[in-house]
Amino acid sequence: MSETILEVTDLKTQFYTERGVVRAVDGVSFDVKQGEIVGLVGESGAGKSVTTSSVMRLIEEPGEVVGGEVDYMGRTIVGFDDTGEELVPRDDMLSESEMREDVRGNEIAIIFQDPMESLNPVYTVGGQVKEFIEINRDIDGKEAKAEAIEMLRRVGIPEAAERYDDYPHEFSGGMRQRVLIAMALGCRPNLIIADEPTTALDVTVEGQILELVDDLQEEFGTSFIWVTHDMGVVAEICDRVNVMYLGQIVEQGPVDEIFHDTQHPYTEALLNSIPRPDRTVGDLEPIEGTMPGAMNPPSGCRFHPRCPDAREPCREVAPEFRVAAETADGSPHRAACLKHEDVGYWDAGPLDSGASETTPAGADAAAEEGER
Amino acid sequence: MAIGEQQTQEDSDGGGDGVEANVGWRYTLDKIKSDATARFGLYVIAAVATVAIVTTIDANLSRLTLGRVEDFALAESVWYHPERHPDPGTTERRMPPFFVEGGSLEHPLGTDRNGRDYISRLVYGTRISFFVGIVATALGMLGGVLIGAVSGYYGGWIDDVLMRAVETLYAIPPLVLVIVFTVFVSGGDPDITYAVFGVGIAFIPVFARLIRSRVLSVREMDYVEAARATGVKDRDILRRHVIPNSFAPVLVLATLQIGVTILIVAGLSFLGYGAQPPTPDWGEMLRISHQYMHSNPWMSIWPGLAILITIMGFNLFGDGLQDALDPRIK
Amino acid sequence: MGLLRYTLNRVLQSIPVMFGIAVITFLLVNSMPGNPVDIMLAEQEASPELIAAIEARYGLDEPLHIQFLNYIGLSWILGAVGIPGFVGSPPGILQGDLGFSMYYERPVADLMLTRLPPTLLLMISAFAFAIATAVPLGVLAAKRRNQPADHVSRVVALIGVSTPSFWIGIMLIILFSVQLGWLPSGRLVYPWRDPSHYGLTSQWELYYQTVRHLILPMVALGTLQMATIMRVERSSMIESLQKEYVQLARAYGVSERKIMRKHAFRPSQLPVVTLIGLNLTSAIGGAVLIEMVFSINGMGRLLIQAIQTHDYQLTIGTTVVIGFVFVIGVIITDISYAYIDPRVSYGEEN
Repeated sequence: MSETILEVTDLKTQFYTERGVVRAVDGVSFDVKQGEIVGLVGESGAGKSVTTSSVMRLIEEPGEVVGGEVDYMGRTIVGFDDTGEELVPRDDMLSESEMREDVRGNEIAIIFQDPMESLNPVYTVGGQVKEFIEINRDIDGKEAKAEAIEMLRRVGIPEAAERYDDYPHEFSGGMRQRVLIAMALGCRPNLIIADEPTTALDVTVEGQILELVDDLQEEFGTSFIWVTHDMGVVAEICDRVNVMYLGQIVEQGPVDEIFHDTQHPYTEALLNSIPRPDRTVGDLEPIEGTMPGAMNPPSGCRFHPRCPDAREPCREVAPEFRVAAETADGSPHRAACLKHEDVGYWDAGPLDSGASETTPAGADAAAEEGER
Repeated sequence: MAIGEQQTQEDSDGGGDGVEANVGWRYTLDKIKSDATARFGLYVIAAVATVAIVTTIDANLSRLTLGRVEDFALAESVWYHPERHPDPGTTERRMPPFFVEGGSLEHPLGTDRNGRDYISRLVYGTRISFFVGIVATALGMLGGVLIGAVSGYYGGWIDDVLMRAVETLYAIPPLVLVIVFTVFVSGGDPDITYAVFGVGIAFIPVFARLIRSRVLSVREMDYVEAARATGVKDRDILRRHVIPNSFAPVLVLATLQIGVTILIVAGLSFLGYGAQPPTPDWGEMLRISHQYMHSNPWMSIWPGLAILITIMGFNLFGDGLQDALDPRIK
Repeated sequence: MGLLRYTLNRVLQSIPVMFGIAVITFLLVNSMPGNPVDIMLAEQEASPELIAAIEARYGLDEPLHIQFLNYIGLSWILGAVGIPGFVGSPPGILQGDLGFSMYYERPVADLMLTRLPPTLLLMISAFAFAIATAVPLGVLAAKRRNQPADHVSRVVALIGVSTPSFWIGIMLIILFSVQLGWLPSGRLVYPWRDPSHYGLTSQWELYYQTVRHLILPMVALGTLQMATIMRVERSSMIESLQKEYVQLARAYGVSERKIMRKHAFRPSQLPVVTLIGLNLTSAIGGAVLIEMVFSINGMGRLLIQAIQTHDYQLTIGTTVVIGFVFVIGVIITDISYAYIDPRVSYGEEN
């Protein structure tokens, strides 16, 4: 097994809004090993983007990372000391300028969801790629420009040298996303966080981009955290998956295990909701209800109001995140479901359909407001 | 960011058709009530309005009951007459405010060159600024909304012609337009009434442009398409859907524009083409006091402060309104 | 090439507007009831012969539409190509002739040459002052959003947009000229004149005096512009700082300083440029008042003098030129907008 480069332990990020504290990320743990693509899957509002922003320490007011640890190749991005009364940032935590100069861009790069909004409309595409390469690598402007053109060519932009001086509005969405990938890879980071990079693209373009990333990833040996809500994308590209629900990871394991030996009802629901060639539309099972807000999460298991398998204990007992199944290669397959605990789940009767307990959708949306 | 997408969509859907618009109004009111600066602006406007209304009633009441033209019975009975010279025999009877040597508490802010009490003139000056501000803006709004709505809704050559005309009108600075209008249309005998119409005309472009751009976007909305498909007349679509849905930004603009009107009318009076003596008016008072900058600078301060506070009230309220209607930027 | 074509396009588009300005002004001035010559000669005893001579000289004996064609200069063109009835018509605006000022007894165009530069000097310096103060303050307010610096700047901006510029001028004169005696209270010293004209010996002394004389009117006229630009700069910068491309720059380790100066700054100047274009009209109006307060012999003072002396052609000429100045100013701002935003010159959006 290759070396672990990023280790996130019990990460907690909160947003302070007028209506109360939103626990957008509430005890998330996962890791990323050298050269692998790790998926972070869940519905909108599950806390995926907040997790990745926390990893890069890019959470802005009114949000704050309030607990947990993020360790990147032996360096502490986030770490706290417990003084007994409160948590204080640890001494070895990287300073803001260390983050900026040593981590962001040159060690961990990011690709955002919306290629239309991610490029600055008033600067040339090439100039933007060049700028980030120049900042993050020890090369001068001329080399950076050559490198930028080379990267643009590598990601499949035709006539890269000529298009270097074009502006973003002269590129299509797919082309812009390629530019962002060139930008990320051009900085030669160890880890790239791809935050739903294909969501805004149409399906054929999405396929092309996934293929491109797959090729380049192998070539450059870069690790990825791939944020998405699409299990189909996960199946295509990821090595391991973390399924998030309401600020927590509910299932984690190698992609094959997750798909074929699913241990959490939520994962199952996600899998059942994607179209597959072997099933008709009638077989699709959308997940019932909407995700409640992170301000007042349901008691017990957070998924229980929408869970088809929920039983009496699910309402009271919060499940532990623990190893749930054997895997072929020995890497852990964890899940947070009472099915795997000895709390009398199997003896209890099923819960009435939890729809009535779901928080009204409007209130959720309001609670999420502060997270933007 | 993925989080909060729902909310963003809800924001942009706000103020859709009639039912939602009502919810929007209540929401707006709540927002203004909770916004301290907007509330403060509203208080200022209310105070200025009260003064303006009371003084107007006074002037007109005495005219009706006593048969005298523009008389200030109430003012005279409790204070000093704002227009009449106390002693027509003397021409130069300026007095500084009470805290300066030579002043007296009888006239706390002193008197003007005709010996008329400065405070009472300041108080009665409120009328002109306030009503001219509101009436002229309303005229501009009415004209602008009509032209903009027709232009945006019908498009084609109507749009071209109207917008060229509006652009042209816009190219002449309002103050210049108003001066030329006031002087020449009045036949060399300028009066505040002409100024009101002049400012009204000068403000047509700002409203027309705003409403036109709104109409252009509203016109493409599904419910307008639907109304047209079911055979509703153009005029009814305009009146029932397009104009109400474009109204919020117009209201904000109007509130802010009242401040601009007051500025322009003050400038006009300062140049001598607005309110005519002996009518008390802030701009007119500044015109006279400008000659006494050396001997009595205080005379120049008070009317300017009065203008500043009044306009600030409208601006604060307008800003609050804008924030409430457009929650994007706080 | 895109930018050049855009510029040309923009100039062509403004021709109907300039024509419209001439029409409106002409109609407004001619809407005055009564015989213009009577009003012109209001203070003088004039013989009927004199009146007839004046009418003939100014073409006032012609019907209104012919007068207008004469004024625009179309009659001259029609005459030049030999259309009967127009041959020998006087030149008009199109030929660069703006009429003849009765009061000054000089061609209006001549007067413009001496009166336009002071107004332009005043306006350009006022905008320079406004931009130089408002842009950094607006950026600072956006950066320190909801902190004391932000609150102070918002209060300043609020007072700035609520205060009549001529009153600011009066207050500045009272404070800095009358009370403190630091700065002159009126008239300008023009840097293009010879120093000896002002009894000065060196060019540097001339510039020094120019600046000293310019400060108060510049601040008086520029305050409103400063306040509005500051507000827009602030909100536009706040919006820009929340954009994904700024977050991306941050995620790539770009320093806050550089983000403030480059990534967020340039896109957020677009609304500011638009605003400056829109504000030109209020600035010209303000210039009229400021010129009166500070006794500056510019276009505004000329207009007021023209109106006071019932000088018809001068009134029309001044108003038309003021309109033209505005139109040209808007074209300049539009072009700088296109320069900042590459999308515009390619005709994608406005």
